Amino acid sequence: MKILKVKNVSLSYKTIEKNDFKALFSLKKVTTFQALKNISFSLEKGEVLGIIGQNGSGKSTLLKTIANVFSPNEGTIEIANNLKVGLLSLGTGFDNKLTGYENIYLSGMLYGYNKAYIDSKLSQIIEFSELEDFIYKPVSTYSSGMYSKLSFSIAVFLEVDILLIDEVLSVGDIHFKEKSYNKITELIKKEDKTVIVVSHSTSMIEELCSRVIWLHDGKVKMQGETTEVIKQYTKFMKNLKK
Amino acid sequence: MIDSVRGCKKYFNYILFSSKSKLKSEVASSYLNALWLVLNPLFYMLTYMFIVEVVFKRAEPNFPIFVFIGITFWDYFSRLISCSVNVIRDNRNIVTKTYIPKYVLLMVKSFVLLFKMFISIFIIFILLAIFRIKISFNVLLLLPIIVVMYIFTFGCGMILMHFGVYVNDLNDIVRILLRFIFYFSGIFYSITNSLPPIAGNILLKANPIAFFINEARNVLMYHQGLSFYLLIWLIIGLIICKIGLQLIKRNENTYIKVLR
Repeated sequence: MKILKVKNVSLSYKTIEKNDFKALFSLKKVTTFQALKNISFSLEKGEVLGIIGQNGSGKSTLLKTIANVFSPNEGTIEIANNLKVGLLSLGTGFDNKLTGYENIYLSGMLYGYNKAYIDSKLSQIIEFSELEDFIYKPVSTYSSGMYSKLSFSIAVFLEVDILLIDEVLSVGDIHFKEKSYNKITELIKKEDKTVIVVSHSTSMIEELCSRVIWLHDGKVKMQGETTEVIKQYTKFMKNLKK
Repeated sequence: MIDSVRGCKKYFNYILFSSKSKLKSEVASSYLNALWLVLNPLFYMLTYMFIVEVVFKRAEPNFPIFVFIGITFWDYFSRLISCSVNVIRDNRNIVTKTYIPKYVLLMVKSFVLLFKMFISIFIIFILLAIFRIKISFNVLLLLPIIVVMYIFTFGCGMILMHFGVYVNDLNDIVRILLRFIFYFSGIFYSITNSLPPIAGNILLKANPIAFFINEARNVLMYHQGLSFYLLIWLIIGLIICKIGLQLIKRNENTYIKVLR
């Protein structure tokens, strides 16, 4: 069953040079930057898709577009009815002034879960995050590691249907990195989750993903079976260094 | 619009939980805690009492209540309007990471302020008792006034929220405008008694805040009924809300492309 269809998606950023009252009336100072160009792919239920590419090739933008944070300028993104899409990146939408505990509820409610459901997952989330007493302190007091520990725990335990993972495994200490890596492989292998992984680590992509999309300058340069794409990608990167 | 009401239902848990947590954190982070919610309007009241009663010697009868009603409504309006300009920027953490209908963010703010307003209204009733002003059933008419004011303010807030994303100095413009409106809203003077009748009449019809404050005083202090104009402001408020919602719906997913 196809649960995600991305069709001909293009997206451009608008940056306004000067944000003042005059800019409202003269749109001359607007520059556009094309971040995604005509991207199409689809995703089966239970599939794990990897996205690779250089910095600035549009990987994170693509994930954010799928999570509906951006809307595409052209093209459509269809998600099978009522599935919850969770974007797991550094700091899932936290309200910095509120405590981690409160943010667990707020994040859950944004995904559309009710309080009772979040109650039932709460102890697991807090335990996995290893934050202990800090969970009752405002998120603004957290270190970046704690921040990502909490956001990881929330997204993983609230069981979103399509999990979007954006470089999240490259933060935190070695111990937590390992723990979260294991948790993700567990989710992928046992629970048949549908996942999209963005990573620079080709070894991780090779281990987790069955299919890979290689983005270059906002375009799909290649997509297909993991080993083949990774082979071409590493070759390309090596040539770049010369 | 119906779509948004449905969306409201879906996000209602979020709105309630978020505004409750925000209030809690605000209270916990200040020294005198919840007492500020009471002290803040009380000190403003004392200031105006000094200026109007002592300096100008032109106070309305039962002046403390008179002024307190004005402050209560003005505080709600001016605070929501001035924070609405920055709502998206203040919440960039959430906005850039997950999808959330943007009016939900404004609604959270409005609920926090609404709660503070209800505390103020509670104090008004205590003052009414202290000054031995008879409380009649007309007091119940306060509710429709608050509802209409809420709708009107929320609509204006949504429009400002939208333009606030694109225009940095909107903040300053709004601040100046608010100060201007403040003096023309009859907060510490009576528009009907202190101004020439024609000017007063025009002001009460053209300035919704002056109108809402005047209506609230009529209902609470003078046992009068509601003016027909409340219906007109309701309709205007609903139209502004619709415009605001459409503006946001059409643009909300491009906001973060502009934010820096």
